[in-house]
Amino acid sequence: MDCTVTIGGCRLKNPVTVASGTAGYGEELSRFVDLSELGAIFTKGLSLAPRPGNRGNRVLETPSGLLNSIGLENVGLERFIAEKLPFLLAKGATVIPNVAGHSEDENEELCRVLSGTPGIDALELNVSCPNVREGGMVFGTDMGRFTSLLDRVRKHTACALIVKLSPNVTDIAGFALAAERAGADAVSAVNTFLGMKIDVKGQRPHFLNGVAGLSGPAIRPLAVRAVYQIYERVSIPVIGMGGISSLEDLLEFVMAGASAVSVGTMNMVDPGLSVRLVRELGEYLAGRGASGLSDLVGAAHTQRSGQ
Amino acid sequence: MALLVERPLRLCSAHYLLRIRHTIRECMPGQFVNLRGWSGHDPLLRRPFSVFNRESDVLELVIRVVGKGTEILSRMEPGEIDLLGPMGRGFTIMENRSVLLAGGGVGNAPLHYLARMLKERGNRVSCIYGARSREYIYREKEFREICDSVIFTTDDGSFGTAGTVTDAAREILSHEAFDRIYSCGPTAMMRSMVELAGSAPIEISVENYFGCGIGLCMGCTIETTQGMKRACIDGPVFDGSSIKWESLC
Repeated sequence: MDCTVTIGGCRLKNPVTVASGTAGYGEELSRFVDLSELGAIFTKGLSLAPRPGNRGNRVLETPSGLLNSIGLENVGLERFIAEKLPFLLAKGATVIPNVAGHSEDENEELCRVLSGTPGIDALELNVSCPNVREGGMVFGTDMGRFTSLLDRVRKHTACALIVKLSPNVTDIAGFALAAERAGADAVSAVNTFLGMKIDVKGQRPHFLNGVAGLSGPAIRPLAVRAVYQIYERVSIPVIGMGGISSLEDLLEFVMAGASAVSVGTMNMVDPGLSVRLVRELGEYLAGRGASGLSDLVGAAHTQRSGQ
Repeated sequence: MALLVERPLRLCSAHYLLRIRHTIRECMPGQFVNLRGWSGHDPLLRRPFSVFNRESDVLELVIRVVGKGTEILSRMEPGEIDLLGPMGRGFTIMENRSVLLAGGGVGNAPLHYLARMLKERGNRVSCIYGARSREYIYREKEFREICDSVIFTTDDGSFGTAGTVTDAAREILSHEAFDRIYSCGPTAMMRSMVELAGSAPIEISVENYFGCGIGLCMGCTIETTQGMKRACIDGPVFDGSSIKWESLC
Protein backbone atom coordinates (compact mmCIF):
# COMPACT_ATOMS: atom_id res chain seq x y z
CA MET A 1 0.00 0.00 0.00
CA ASP A 2 1.29 3.44 -0.87
CA CYS A 3 0.23 6.08 1.59
CA THR A 4 2.92 8.61 0.81
CA VAL A 5 1.95 12.20 0.17
CA THR A 6 3.98 14.44 -2.11
CA ILE A 7 4.04 18.17 -1.51
CA GLY A 8 6.28 19.83 -4.03
CA GLY A 9 9.63 18.14 -3.50
CA CYS A 10 8.73 16.93 -0.03
CA ARG A 11 7.61 13.38 0.57
CA LEU A 12 5.56 12.47 3.63
CA LYS A 13 5.69 8.77 4.41
CA ASN A 14 2.02 8.83 5.39
CA PRO A 15 -0.77 11.44 5.63
CA VAL A 16 -0.83 11.81 9.42
CA THR A 17 1.11 14.75 10.84
CA VAL A 18 1.10 16.76 14.05
CA ALA A 19 0.14 20.42 13.93
CA SER A 20 2.36 23.36 14.73
CA GLY A 21 2.02 24.61 18.29
CA THR A 22 0.77 21.31 19.67
CA ALA A 23 3.97 19.33 19.40
CA GLY A 24 6.65 21.79 20.52
CA TYR A 25 9.93 20.75 18.89
CA GLY A 26 9.18 17.07 19.34
CA GLU A 27 11.28 16.45 22.44
CA GLU A 28 8.34 15.92 24.77
CA LEU A 29 6.15 14.19 22.18
CA SER A 30 8.97 11.73 21.48
CA ARG A 31 8.42 10.32 24.97
CA PHE A 32 5.03 9.10 23.77
CA VAL A 33 5.39 8.38 20.05
CA ASP A 34 8.09 7.36 17.59
CA LEU A 35 8.37 10.56 15.55
CA SER A 36 9.71 8.64 12.56
CA GLU A 37 6.32 6.93 12.22
CA LEU A 38 4.57 10.24 11.52
CA GLY A 39 4.03 11.80 8.12
CA ALA A 40 5.64 14.96 9.50
CA ILE A 41 5.98 17.14 12.54
CA PHE A 42 5.12 20.82 12.10
CA THR A 43 7.23 22.55 14.71
CA LYS A 44 6.30 25.56 16.84
CA GLY A 45 5.98 28.89 14.95
CA LEU A 46 9.42 30.35 14.48
CA SER A 47 10.79 33.90 14.39
CA LEU A 48 14.32 35.17 13.72
CA ALA A 49 14.92 36.20 17.32
CA PRO A 50 13.56 34.22 20.29
CA ARG A 51 10.15 35.41 21.49
CA PRO A 52 8.87 35.21 25.05
CA GLY A 53 5.21 34.97 24.01
CA ASN A 54 2.27 36.61 25.71
CA ARG A 55 1.91 37.46 29.37
CA GLY A 56 -1.03 36.58 31.56
CA ASN A 57 -3.39 33.68 30.94
CA ARG A 58 -2.41 31.62 27.93
CA VAL A 59 -4.81 28.69 27.71
CA LEU A 60 -8.36 27.99 28.76
CA GLU A 61 -10.59 25.01 28.20
CA THR A 62 -13.98 25.75 26.62
CA PRO A 63 -16.78 23.30 25.74
CA SER A 64 -14.94 20.61 23.68
CA GLY A 65 -12.32 23.18 22.77
CA LEU A 66 -9.32 25.16 23.85
CA LEU A 67 -8.65 28.87 23.68
CA ASN A 68 -5.00 29.83 23.50
CA SER A 69 -3.05 33.02 23.54
CA ILE A 70 0.51 31.72 23.62
CA GLY A 71 1.79 34.45 21.31
CA LEU A 72 4.37 32.39 19.43
CA GLU A 73 6.83 31.80 22.24
CA ASN A 74 9.79 30.21 20.47
CA VAL A 75 13.54 29.69 20.64
CA GLY A 76 14.37 31.68 17.51
CA LEU A 77 15.97 30.58 14.25
CA GLU A 78 19.52 30.09 15.50
CA ARG A 79 18.69 27.76 18.37
CA PHE A 80 16.15 25.94 16.23
CA ILE A 81 18.80 25.05 13.66
CA ALA A 82 21.54 24.37 16.21
CA GLU A 83 19.55 22.35 18.77
CA LYS A 84 16.01 21.43 17.80
CA LEU A 85 16.40 20.37 14.17
CA PRO A 86 19.32 17.97 14.78
CA PHE A 87 17.34 16.22 17.53
CA LEU A 88 14.35 15.75 15.23
CA LEU A 89 16.41 14.56 12.27
CA ALA A 90 18.27 12.10 14.50
CA LYS A 91 14.88 10.69 15.51
CA GLY A 92 14.09 10.11 11.84
CA ALA A 93 11.33 12.71 11.77
CA THR A 94 10.18 14.59 8.69
CA VAL A 95 10.41 18.17 9.92
CA ILE A 96 8.33 21.03 8.56
CA PRO A 97 9.16 24.26 10.37
CA ASN A 98 6.34 26.76 10.81
CA VAL A 99 7.49 30.25 9.80
CA ALA A 100 5.89 33.06 11.76
CA GLY A 101 7.74 36.30 11.14
CA HIS A 102 6.38 39.71 12.11
CA SER A 103 7.08 41.34 8.76
CA GLU A 104 7.60 40.50 5.11
CA ASP A 105 11.35 40.97 5.62
CA GLU A 106 11.45 38.58 8.56
CA ASN A 107 9.40 35.93 6.79
CA GLU A 108 11.55 36.19 3.69
CA GLU A 109 14.74 35.76 5.71
CA LEU A 110 13.34 32.81 7.69
CA CYS A 111 12.25 31.06 4.49
CA ARG A 112 15.56 31.75 2.77
CA VAL A 113 17.64 30.33 5.61
CA LEU A 114 15.39 27.39 6.51
CA SER A 115 14.83 26.23 2.95
CA GLY A 116 18.60 26.21 2.45
CA THR A 117 19.15 24.12 5.57
CA PRO A 118 19.88 20.42 4.96
CA GLY A 119 17.10 18.16 6.23
CA ILE A 120 14.30 20.60 5.52
CA ASP A 121 12.20 19.84 2.44
CA ALA A 122 9.14 21.92 3.22
CA LEU A 123 8.13 25.01 5.17
CA GLU A 124 4.76 26.10 6.48
CA LEU A 125 4.15 29.83 6.29
CA ASN A 126 1.99 30.93 9.20
CA VAL A 127 -0.15 33.84 8.08
CA SER A 128 -2.85 33.05 10.56
CA CYS A 129 -1.72 33.39 14.18
CA PRO A 130 -4.41 35.41 15.98
CA ASN A 131 -2.28 36.05 19.06
CA VAL A 132 0.42 38.49 17.97
CA ARG A 133 -0.04 42.19 17.44
CA GLU A 134 2.20 42.53 14.39
CA GLY A 135 2.13 40.24 11.40
CA GLY A 136 0.31 37.01 12.13
CA MET A 137 -3.29 36.95 11.08
CA VAL A 138 -3.14 40.31 9.30
CA PHE A 139 -1.17 38.57 6.54
CA GLY A 140 -3.84 35.92 6.24
CA THR A 141 -6.96 38.08 6.23
CA ASP A 142 -5.97 41.01 3.98
CA MET A 143 -5.77 39.76 0.40
CA GLY A 144 -3.38 42.51 -0.69
CA ARG A 145 -0.88 41.81 2.07
CA PHE A 146 -1.37 38.06 1.64
CA THR A 147 -0.40 38.02 -2.03
CA SER A 148 2.38 40.54 -1.53
CA LEU A 149 3.95 38.39 1.20
CA LEU A 150 3.54 35.17 -0.77
CA ASP A 151 5.11 36.63 -3.90
CA ARG A 152 8.19 37.66 -1.93
CA VAL A 153 8.46 34.52 0.16
CA ARG A 154 7.99 32.17 -2.79
CA LYS A 155 11.01 33.68 -4.56
CA HIS A 156 13.22 32.97 -1.55
CA THR A 157 11.94 29.54 -0.62
CA ALA A 158 14.00 26.83 -2.25
CA CYS A 159 11.85 23.97 -0.94
CA ALA A 160 8.15 23.14 -0.81
CA LEU A 161 6.01 25.97 0.54
CA ILE A 162 2.83 25.29 2.49
CA VAL A 163 0.60 28.19 3.47
CA LYS A 164 -1.36 27.85 6.71
CA LEU A 165 -4.64 29.64 6.16
CA SER A 166 -6.67 31.69 8.59
CA PRO A 167 -10.31 30.65 8.89
CA ASN A 168 -11.17 34.17 10.01
CA VAL A 169 -12.16 35.33 6.53
CA THR A 170 -15.39 35.29 4.55
CA ASP A 171 -13.99 33.22 1.69
CA ILE A 172 -11.15 30.94 2.74
CA ALA A 173 -11.13 29.21 -0.66
CA GLY A 174 -10.32 32.57 -2.26
CA PHE A 175 -7.17 32.77 -0.14
CA ALA A 176 -6.29 29.17 -0.99
CA LEU A 177 -6.62 29.99 -4.68
CA ALA A 178 -4.43 33.07 -4.29
CA ALA A 179 -1.83 30.90 -2.54
CA GLU A 180 -1.90 28.40 -5.39
CA ARG A 181 -1.48 31.17 -7.95
CA ALA A 182 1.47 32.57 -5.99
CA GLY A 183 3.16 29.21 -6.28
CA ALA A 184 2.37 27.54 -2.96
CA ASP A 185 2.75 23.76 -3.05
CA ALA A 186 -0.03 23.12 -0.52
CA VAL A 187 -2.28 24.84 1.98
CA SER A 188 -2.96 23.92 5.61
CA ALA A 189 -6.49 24.50 6.81
CA VAL A 190 -7.25 25.66 9.34
CA ASN A 191 -5.47 27.68 11.99
CA THR A 192 -7.48 28.64 15.07
CA PHE A 193 -10.73 30.59 15.00
CA LEU A 194 -10.77 33.95 16.75
CA GLY A 195 -12.50 33.57 20.06
CA MET A 196 -12.82 35.29 23.38
CA LYS A 197 -13.56 34.62 27.01
CA ILE A 198 -14.94 37.25 29.34
CA ASP A 199 -14.02 37.00 33.00
CA VAL A 200 -17.44 37.82 34.43
CA LYS A 201 -16.16 38.44 37.96
CA GLY A 202 -13.52 40.87 36.74
CA GLN A 203 -15.72 42.24 33.92
CA ARG A 204 -12.81 42.02 31.47
CA PRO A 205 -11.38 39.70 28.83
CA HIS A 206 -9.74 36.60 30.33
CA PHE A 207 -6.72 37.02 28.03
CA LEU A 208 -4.54 40.12 28.18
CA ASN A 209 -4.57 40.23 24.39
CA GLY A 210 -8.38 40.28 24.45
CA VAL A 211 -8.92 37.72 21.72
CA ALA A 212 -7.54 34.19 21.55
CA GLY A 213 -7.52 31.26 19.13
CA LEU A 214 -10.06 28.46 19.43
CA SER A 215 -9.08 24.88 18.52
CA GLY A 216 -10.14 21.34 19.30
CA PRO A 217 -13.22 19.22 18.54
CA ALA A 218 -15.41 22.32 18.98
CA ILE A 219 -14.21 23.68 15.62
CA ARG A 220 -14.21 20.42 13.67
CA PRO A 221 -17.38 21.01 11.60
CA LEU A 222 -16.16 24.51 10.73
CA ALA A 223 -12.77 23.17 9.66
CA VAL A 224 -14.25 20.32 7.60
CA ARG A 225 -16.41 22.88 5.81
CA ALA A 226 -13.34 25.04 5.09
CA VAL A 227 -11.43 22.08 3.62
CA TYR A 228 -14.45 21.13 1.52
CA GLN A 229 -14.73 24.66 0.09
CA ILE A 230 -10.98 24.89 -0.60
CA TYR A 231 -10.91 21.54 -2.39
CA GLU A 232 -13.48 22.81 -4.88
CA ARG A 233 -11.26 25.72 -5.90
CA VAL A 234 -7.65 24.48 -5.91
CA SER A 235 -5.69 21.55 -7.24
CA ILE A 236 -2.73 21.70 -4.82
CA PRO A 237 -2.89 19.36 -1.78
CA VAL A 238 -4.81 20.46 1.29
CA ILE A 239 -3.61 19.51 4.77
CA GLY A 240 -6.72 19.36 6.91
CA MET A 241 -6.95 19.92 10.64
CA GLY A 242 -9.35 20.98 13.35
CA GLY A 243 -10.13 18.80 16.35
CA ILE A 244 -9.22 15.42 14.87
CA SER A 245 -9.57 12.83 17.64
CA SER A 246 -10.37 9.58 15.83
CA LEU A 247 -10.10 7.73 12.52
CA GLU A 248 -13.62 8.81 11.63
CA ASP A 249 -12.70 12.47 12.15
CA LEU A 250 -9.61 11.99 9.99
CA LEU A 251 -11.66 10.40 7.22
CA GLU A 252 -14.11 13.30 7.29
CA PHE A 253 -11.27 15.66 6.43
CA VAL A 254 -9.94 13.33 3.74
CA MET A 255 -13.34 12.94 2.12
CA ALA A 256 -13.84 16.71 2.29
CA GLY A 257 -10.64 17.05 0.27
CA ALA A 258 -7.56 16.74 2.50
CA SER A 259 -4.59 14.79 1.14
CA ALA A 260 -3.00 14.84 4.59
CA VAL A 261 -4.16 15.75 8.07
CA SER A 262 -2.75 17.14 11.30
CA VAL A 263 -3.59 16.13 14.81
CA GLY A 264 -3.47 19.27 16.93
CA THR A 265 -5.18 19.95 20.23
CA MET A 266 -5.82 16.25 20.85
CA ASN A 267 -2.06 15.61 21.06
CA MET A 268 -2.26 17.51 24.30
CA VAL A 269 -4.91 15.18 25.71
CA ASP A 270 -3.82 11.91 24.12
CA PRO A 271 -0.18 12.20 23.00
CA GLY A 272 -0.15 8.73 21.43
CA LEU A 273 -3.10 9.53 19.15
CA SER A 274 -1.22 10.54 15.99
CA VAL A 275 0.75 7.32 15.65
CA ARG A 276 -2.31 5.27 16.57
CA LEU A 277 -4.14 6.97 13.68
CA VAL A 278 -1.33 6.04 11.27
CA ARG A 279 -1.94 2.39 12.16
CA GLU A 280 -5.73 2.64 12.16
CA LEU A 281 -5.74 4.34 8.77
CA GLY A 282 -3.48 1.63 7.36
CA GLU A 283 -5.83 -1.07 8.70
CA TYR A 284 -8.87 0.75 7.35
CA LEU A 285 -7.40 1.05 3.87
CA ALA A 286 -6.18 -2.55 3.91
CA GLY A 287 -9.67 -3.67 4.97
CA ARG A 288 -11.13 -1.91 1.97
CA GLY A 289 -8.54 -3.40 -0.34
CA ALA A 290 -7.44 0.13 -1.25
CA SER A 291 -4.02 0.70 -2.75
CA GLY A 292 -3.69 4.07 -1.03
CA LEU A 293 -5.56 7.08 0.24
CA SER A 294 -5.96 8.91 -3.06
CA ASP A 295 -9.33 7.35 -3.99
CA LEU A 296 -10.83 8.76 -0.82
CA VAL A 297 -9.47 12.31 -1.10
CA GLY A 298 -12.43 14.52 -1.89
CA ALA A 299 -14.74 11.51 -2.12
CA ALA A 300 -17.61 13.48 -0.58
CA HIS A 301 -17.62 15.83 -3.58
CA THR A 302 -18.06 13.04 -6.09
CA GLN A 303 -20.84 11.45 -4.07
CA ARG A 304 -22.64 14.74 -3.77
CA SER A 305 -22.57 15.57 -7.47
CA GLY A 306 -23.64 12.00 -8.23
CA GLN A 307 -26.89 12.39 -6.28
CA MET B 1 -2.38 0.69 33.17
CA ALA B 2 -3.65 2.58 36.19
CA LEU B 3 -6.49 1.37 38.36
CA LEU B 4 -8.61 3.37 40.74
CA VAL B 5 -8.55 1.04 43.73
CA GLU B 6 -11.70 2.25 45.43
CA ARG B 7 -14.32 4.96 45.23
CA PRO B 8 -12.89 8.43 45.93
CA LEU B 9 -13.03 9.06 49.66
CA ARG B 10 -14.40 12.41 50.82
CA LEU B 11 -11.75 13.94 53.10
CA CYS B 12 -13.41 17.24 53.90
CA SER B 13 -15.47 19.88 52.14
CA ALA B 14 -14.85 19.56 48.35
CA HIS B 15 -11.68 17.46 48.81
CA TYR B 16 -11.43 13.79 47.84
CA LEU B 17 -8.72 11.15 48.12
CA LEU B 18 -8.07 9.04 45.03
CA ARG B 19 -6.09 5.82 45.48
CA ILE B 20 -4.64 4.58 42.20
CA ARG B 21 -2.63 1.41 41.64
CA HIS B 22 0.04 2.16 39.10
CA THR B 23 3.40 0.58 38.33
CA ILE B 24 6.02 3.29 38.53
CA ARG B 25 9.73 3.29 39.09
CA GLU B 26 10.13 6.58 40.82
CA CYS B 27 7.92 9.32 42.13
CA MET B 28 9.30 12.35 43.91
CA PRO B 29 7.32 14.68 46.17
CA GLY B 30 6.15 17.64 44.09
CA GLN B 31 5.68 15.59 40.95
CA PHE B 32 2.18 15.29 39.53
CA VAL B 33 0.03 13.06 37.37
CA ASN B 34 -2.37 14.03 34.56
CA LEU B 35 -5.75 12.34 34.89
CA ARG B 36 -8.64 11.82 32.53
CA GLY B 37 -11.77 10.17 33.85
CA TRP B 38 -13.98 10.51 30.78
CA SER B 39 -13.92 9.50 27.14
CA GLY B 40 -15.73 12.38 25.42
CA HIS B 41 -14.48 15.90 24.69
CA ASP B 42 -16.20 17.89 27.40
CA PRO B 43 -14.25 18.07 29.67
CA LEU B 44 -11.38 18.05 27.20
CA LEU B 45 -8.01 18.43 28.89
CA ARG B 46 -6.46 16.17 31.49
CA ARG B 47 -6.39 17.50 35.04
CA PRO B 48 -3.05 17.67 36.92
CA PHE B 49 -2.75 16.56 40.57
CA SER B 50 0.33 16.40 42.73
CA VAL B 51 1.06 13.24 44.66
CA PHE B 52 -0.25 13.23 48.26
CA ASN B 53 1.24 9.89 49.20
CA ARG B 54 2.71 6.75 47.83
CA GLU B 55 2.52 3.27 49.33
CA SER B 56 4.51 0.85 47.12
CA ASP B 57 2.45 0.75 43.89
CA VAL B 58 -0.47 2.84 45.11
CA LEU B 59 -0.45 6.59 44.49
CA GLU B 60 -2.71 8.75 46.59
CA LEU B 61 -3.96 12.08 45.24
CA VAL B 62 -6.06 14.76 46.88
CA ILE B 63 -8.35 16.52 44.47
CA ARG B 64 -10.39 19.62 45.13
CA VAL B 65 -13.65 19.81 43.23
CA VAL B 66 -13.64 23.11 41.34
CA GLY B 67 -15.46 22.28 38.10
CA LYS B 68 -16.84 19.62 35.84
CA GLY B 69 -13.63 17.61 35.39
CA THR B 70 -12.79 17.35 39.07
CA GLU B 71 -16.40 16.56 39.90
CA ILE B 72 -16.41 13.61 37.49
CA LEU B 73 -13.15 12.38 39.01
CA SER B 74 -14.58 12.67 42.53
CA ARG B 75 -17.48 10.38 41.57
CA MET B 76 -15.56 7.74 39.61
CA GLU B 77 -16.20 4.08 40.13
CA PRO B 78 -13.22 1.80 40.84
CA GLY B 79 -11.50 0.48 37.73
CA GLU B 80 -9.26 1.66 34.95
CA ILE B 81 -8.29 5.32 34.94
CA ASP B 82 -6.34 7.18 32.27
CA LEU B 83 -3.15 8.49 33.92
CA LEU B 84 0.03 10.08 32.54
CA GLY B 85 2.94 10.53 34.89
CA PRO B 86 4.39 11.12 37.34
CA MET B 87 5.58 14.23 35.55
CA GLY B 88 7.63 17.30 36.25
CA ARG B 89 10.42 18.27 38.61
CA GLY B 90 9.85 17.62 42.30
CA PHE B 91 11.26 19.04 45.54
CA THR B 92 14.90 18.71 46.59
CA ILE B 93 15.21 16.20 49.40
CA MET B 94 17.61 17.25 52.16
CA GLU B 95 19.20 14.97 54.74
CA ASN B 96 19.54 15.57 58.48
CA ARG B 97 18.56 19.22 58.29
CA SER B 98 15.88 21.43 59.70
CA VAL B 99 13.13 22.42 57.29
CA LEU B 100 9.87 24.37 57.24
CA LEU B 101 6.87 23.41 55.13
CA ALA B 102 4.11 25.95 54.45
CA GLY B 103 0.97 24.89 52.59
CA GLY B 104 -2.34 26.50 51.76
CA GLY B 105 -5.54 24.61 50.89
CA VAL B 106 -5.13 21.80 48.39
CA GLY B 107 -1.48 22.91 48.21
CA ASN B 108 -0.91 20.96 51.41
CA ALA B 109 -1.27 17.73 49.42
CA PRO B 110 2.27 17.51 47.97
CA LEU B 111 3.70 18.64 51.31
CA HIS B 112 2.32 15.50 52.96
CA TYR B 113 4.38 13.22 50.74
CA LEU B 114 7.31 15.62 51.04
CA ALA B 115 7.13 15.60 54.85
CA ARG B 116 7.14 11.81 54.90
CA MET B 117 10.21 11.58 52.70
CA LEU B 118 12.04 14.32 54.56
CA LYS B 119 11.42 12.51 57.86
CA GLU B 120 12.74 9.27 56.38
CA ARG B 121 15.96 11.15 55.59
CA GLY B 122 16.43 12.33 59.14
CA ASN B 123 15.25 15.90 58.81
CA ARG B 124 13.52 17.90 61.50
CA VAL B 125 10.23 18.90 59.86
CA SER B 126 8.14 21.86 60.96
CA CYS B 127 4.92 22.47 59.12
CA ILE B 128 2.35 25.22 58.76
CA TYR B 129 -0.94 23.93 57.42
CA GLY B 130 -3.33 26.67 56.30
CA ALA B 131 -6.96 26.44 55.23
CA ARG B 132 -10.00 28.65 54.89
CA SER B 133 -11.80 27.00 57.81
CA ARG B 134 -12.14 23.78 59.80
CA GLU B 135 -14.15 22.02 57.08
CA TYR B 136 -11.26 22.39 54.61
CA ILE B 137 -8.67 20.58 56.72
CA TYR B 138 -7.89 17.01 55.75
CA ARG B 139 -5.72 14.29 57.24
CA GLU B 140 -4.87 16.43 60.22
CA LYS B 141 -3.81 13.43 62.32
CA GLU B 142 -1.37 12.18 59.70
CA PHE B 143 0.31 15.56 59.42
CA ARG B 144 0.68 15.62 63.23
CA GLU B 145 2.15 12.10 63.24
CA ILE B 146 4.67 12.74 60.47
CA CYS B 147 5.96 16.21 61.36
CA ASP B 148 7.91 17.24 64.41
CA SER B 149 5.62 20.21 64.82
CA VAL B 150 2.51 21.39 62.97
CA ILE B 151 0.70 24.67 63.24
CA PHE B 152 -2.80 24.80 61.79
CA THR B 153 -4.13 28.15 60.69
CA THR B 154 -7.61 29.02 59.43
CA ASP B 155 -8.76 32.30 57.96
CA ASP B 156 -11.82 32.35 60.22
CA GLY B 157 -10.18 30.87 63.32
CA SER B 158 -12.51 27.85 63.33
CA PHE B 159 -9.52 25.54 63.78
CA GLY B 160 -6.00 26.14 65.05
CA THR B 161 -4.74 29.70 64.97
CA ALA B 162 -6.82 32.42 63.36
CA GLY B 163 -4.90 34.04 60.52
CA THR B 164 -2.89 33.17 57.46
CA VAL B 165 0.00 30.83 56.78
CA THR B 166 2.28 33.81 56.31
CA ASP B 167 1.28 35.26 59.70
CA ALA B 168 2.35 32.00 61.32
CA ALA B 169 5.50 31.80 59.19
CA ARG B 170 6.51 35.33 60.15
CA GLU B 171 6.20 34.40 63.83
CA ILE B 172 8.24 31.19 63.52
CA LEU B 173 10.92 32.75 61.33
CA SER B 174 11.39 35.56 63.86
CA HIS B 175 12.98 33.12 66.29
CA GLU B 176 13.98 30.05 64.30
CA ALA B 177 16.18 29.49 61.26
CA PHE B 178 15.70 26.69 58.71
CA ASP B 179 18.05 25.13 56.19
CA ARG B 180 15.29 25.13 53.60
CA ILE B 181 11.68 26.21 53.24
CA TYR B 182 9.13 24.48 51.03
CA SER B 183 5.81 26.02 50.04
CA CYS B 184 2.76 25.17 47.97
CA GLY B 185 -0.52 27.04 47.81
CA PRO B 186 -2.07 30.19 46.40
CA THR B 187 0.31 32.40 44.41
CA ALA B 188 0.02 35.36 46.78
CA MET B 189 0.85 33.13 49.73
CA MET B 190 3.94 31.66 48.07
CA ARG B 191 5.09 35.10 47.03
CA SER B 192 4.89 36.26 50.66
CA MET B 193 6.72 33.13 51.80
CA VAL B 194 9.57 33.89 49.41
CA GLU B 195 9.80 37.42 50.84
CA LEU B 196 9.77 36.08 54.40
CA ALA B 197 12.43 33.48 53.60
CA GLY B 198 14.98 36.21 53.01
CA SER B 199 18.27 34.52 52.24
CA ALA B 200 17.10 31.02 53.23
CA PRO B 201 16.65 28.63 50.28
CA ILE B 202 12.98 28.22 49.41
CA GLU B 203 11.31 25.91 46.93
CA ILE B 204 7.76 26.51 45.79
CA SER B 205 5.39 24.44 43.69
CA VAL B 206 3.39 26.64 41.32
CA GLU B 207 -0.30 25.97 40.72
CA ASN B 208 -0.96 27.86 37.50
CA TYR B 209 -3.37 26.65 34.81
CA PHE B 210 -1.90 23.86 32.70
CA GLY B 211 -2.89 23.15 29.10
CA CYS B 212 -1.45 19.77 28.20
CA GLY B 213 0.61 19.12 31.35
CA ILE B 214 3.23 17.31 29.25
CA GLY B 215 5.32 20.14 27.84
CA LEU B 216 3.76 20.54 24.40
CA CYS B 217 1.67 23.71 24.43
CA MET B 218 3.65 26.34 26.38
CA GLY B 219 0.39 27.35 28.05
CA CYS B 220 1.81 27.23 31.59
CA THR B 221 4.99 29.21 30.93
CA ILE B 222 6.17 31.45 33.76
CA GLU B 223 8.90 34.06 33.78
CA THR B 224 11.96 33.33 35.89
CA THR B 225 15.39 34.86 36.30
CA GLN B 226 16.59 31.93 34.13
CA GLY B 227 14.16 32.79 31.34
CA MET B 228 10.77 31.42 30.34
CA LYS B 229 10.00 28.08 32.02
CA ARG B 230 7.15 25.67 31.48
CA ALA B 231 5.63 24.90 34.87
CA CYS B 232 4.67 21.36 33.83
CA ILE B 233 8.08 20.21 32.62
CA ASP B 234 10.65 22.58 34.15
CA GLY B 235 8.59 22.73 37.38
CA PRO B 236 6.14 22.65 39.01
CA VAL B 237 8.79 23.03 41.74
CA PHE B 238 11.03 26.06 41.31
CA ASP B 239 13.58 27.95 43.35
CA GLY B 240 11.27 30.55 44.90
CA SER B 241 13.79 33.35 44.46
CA SER B 242 13.88 32.79 40.68
CA ILE B 243 10.20 33.56 40.07
CA LYS B 244 9.21 36.87 38.48
CA TRP B 245 5.98 37.13 40.43
CA GLU B 246 4.42 39.91 38.41
CA SER B 247 4.12 37.44 35.53
CA LEU B 248 1.98 35.11 37.64
CA CYS B 249 -0.57 37.57 39.00
